[in-house]
Amino acid sequence: MHMADALLSPAVGLAMDAVAVAAVGVSAAKIKKDDLNEKKIPIMGIAGALVFAGQMINFSIPATGSSGHIGGGILLSGLLGGFPAFLSIAAVLVIQCLFFADGGLLALGCNIFNMGVVPCLILYPLLFRPLLKGGVTAKRLSVASVASAVIGLEIGAFCVVLETLFSGITELPFSTFAALMLPIHLAIGLVEGLVTAAILVFVHKMRPEIIGASLAGQKLAAAVPVRKVAVVLVALTLVGGGALSLAASGSPDGLEWAIGNAFNRDDPEAGLGQFEENAALSSVAEGAAGVQENTAFLPGYAFASDGENPAGTAVSGIVGAAITFALACAAGLIISKVKRRKNAEASA
Amino acid sequence: MSNIHGSLGELHALDALAAGRTTVHRLHPLAKLCSALIFILAVVSFGRYDFLPLTPYLFYPFILMALAEIPYGILLKRVLVALPFCLFAGLSNVFFDRETAFTLGSVTISYGVLSLLTILLKMYLSVMAALLLVATTPFVELTAQLRRLRVPMQFVTVFEMTYRYAGVLLLETRSMGMAYALRSGGKRALEMRHMGSFVGGLLLRGFDRAERIHAAMRCRGYSLRTVPRAPRPLRGADVWALAAIVTASAVLRFVRLF
Repeated sequence: MHMADALLSPAVGLAMDAVAVAAVGVSAAKIKKDDLNEKKIPIMGIAGALVFAGQMINFSIPATGSSGHIGGGILLSGLLGGFPAFLSIAAVLVIQCLFFADGGLLALGCNIFNMGVVPCLILYPLLFRPLLKGGVTAKRLSVASVASAVIGLEIGAFCVVLETLFSGITELPFSTFAALMLPIHLAIGLVEGLVTAAILVFVHKMRPEIIGASLAGQKLAAAVPVRKVAVVLVALTLVGGGALSLAASGSPDGLEWAIGNAFNRDDPEAGLGQFEENAALSSVAEGAAGVQENTAFLPGYAFASDGENPAGTAVSGIVGAAITFALACAAGLIISKVKRRKNAEASA
Repeated sequence: MSNIHGSLGELHALDALAAGRTTVHRLHPLAKLCSALIFILAVVSFGRYDFLPLTPYLFYPFILMALAEIPYGILLKRVLVALPFCLFAGLSNVFFDRETAFTLGSVTISYGVLSLLTILLKMYLSVMAALLLVATTPFVELTAQLRRLRVPMQFVTVFEMTYRYAGVLLLETRSMGMAYALRSGGKRALEMRHMGSFVGGLLLRGFDRAERIHAAMRCRGYSLRTVPRAPRPLRGADVWALAAIVTASAVLRFVRLF
């Protein structure tokens, strides 16, 4: 479920990054108020490390012969409480991004939202905790874990679909993408929920105070801040989205470029002119409508059908790119070689 | 559970690379962080069919890798991790977007293929930028820089401890897994019904261990409020490197070679 930079547009990536930064800031502030601050942080670290170790533990899923591994948002929330769990998950995601290339640097905001904010800051206070209101029992713990894990993963997967579609990098139709992602994550969520339940029930049996404390800690903090977090998140998304769409409409880049390019790869500006002539648009409003209409089935009227044969320019472009590639390789190789020789001389 | 040893090695491989002493390693962490972010932003902001204009960006990873004396294999293996999802999204373009972009002799290249190639190139470039950042910046310097940027210390500390404890817990997991395998007649994977007690046990052991380590650290004067080392000032070389990367990224973004 980790999203990559390559599938994101800068607007979506940056907006979600802003949301993630706000969520981390609010969570850190919440924990600071807690007296147990100092003692709790190593526990949070080890809980994050557990998510790593957990991913290495393969377990066999009964009757299927396949194996799965645990994810963690609801598990950590049950052990630590929502805000500390969120910080741990965020730390895990940063490490996965930096050291394992699992999810990109720009995509961190999306990943932290889908896998951190959703389970820890939304589902834990709104679903997990209310389900345990009548006192913690093994049965209630199991129901709460499975329900929260399944719903959390489904929402997260749906967010992946939305973020990808808003970025506009893939051609996958919305319904197809959703129909692929949601059932897969329903199954994963079910397994994750069962594993989470098993672990939480075991911990509750051995050390009931751990889960009791996380629930109690959350209770002290839950009065106002959850609403505050929600408000901050919504505001940031709106501001980010608004500012970025303004920027998008104001700049002659992006969309128009793509259209211009589709019409005339040599000279996109002329291409844009052609496009506008073709469309014979009189008013600005109609122009905008035309742009939208045309982007929907945009991909290139020009080239193949166009008599003016852009194949020549395509070939020269490809040759240019190949030369660039070769030059970049050569630069790397030469530097390596020079360095190696220098190092050899130094050690000799 | 046999792959635990491998992932332990993987976890520390980049940190080991970061201990180098090349020109790139000596740059200020802030300069490296900013240039990686701006590079990724520039790459990602290209349109979906812009395969050709993106190729000059390959200079960044190639030159940096050579300057930092980093072997290709280690980073390439990690790039592959990001591959499946991008490939899936990219391949769907091939099926949904069959309009011909151009023809090369008798071979027609469709827009779908062009966008698949663009996604893969973007993936390679963005992943390499992030990996090169960690492969040339020691973990301690990176977190110190985050603190100086006023990232909440609660988060930075959790980040550090997660990284440090990951190795500890992986070792613990390995010995528990071996014990489980020996007593269960050589099963390869854990049974689902033992999952709760296995991971739960691991967790409780981990909690105790974390508390012991933390107490030991406190005894030796550790505190969350420990004043970090005085930061190294930005030198001329740092500013020049950052300026060069930012200018190159921006120029290649707005002036198209192809």
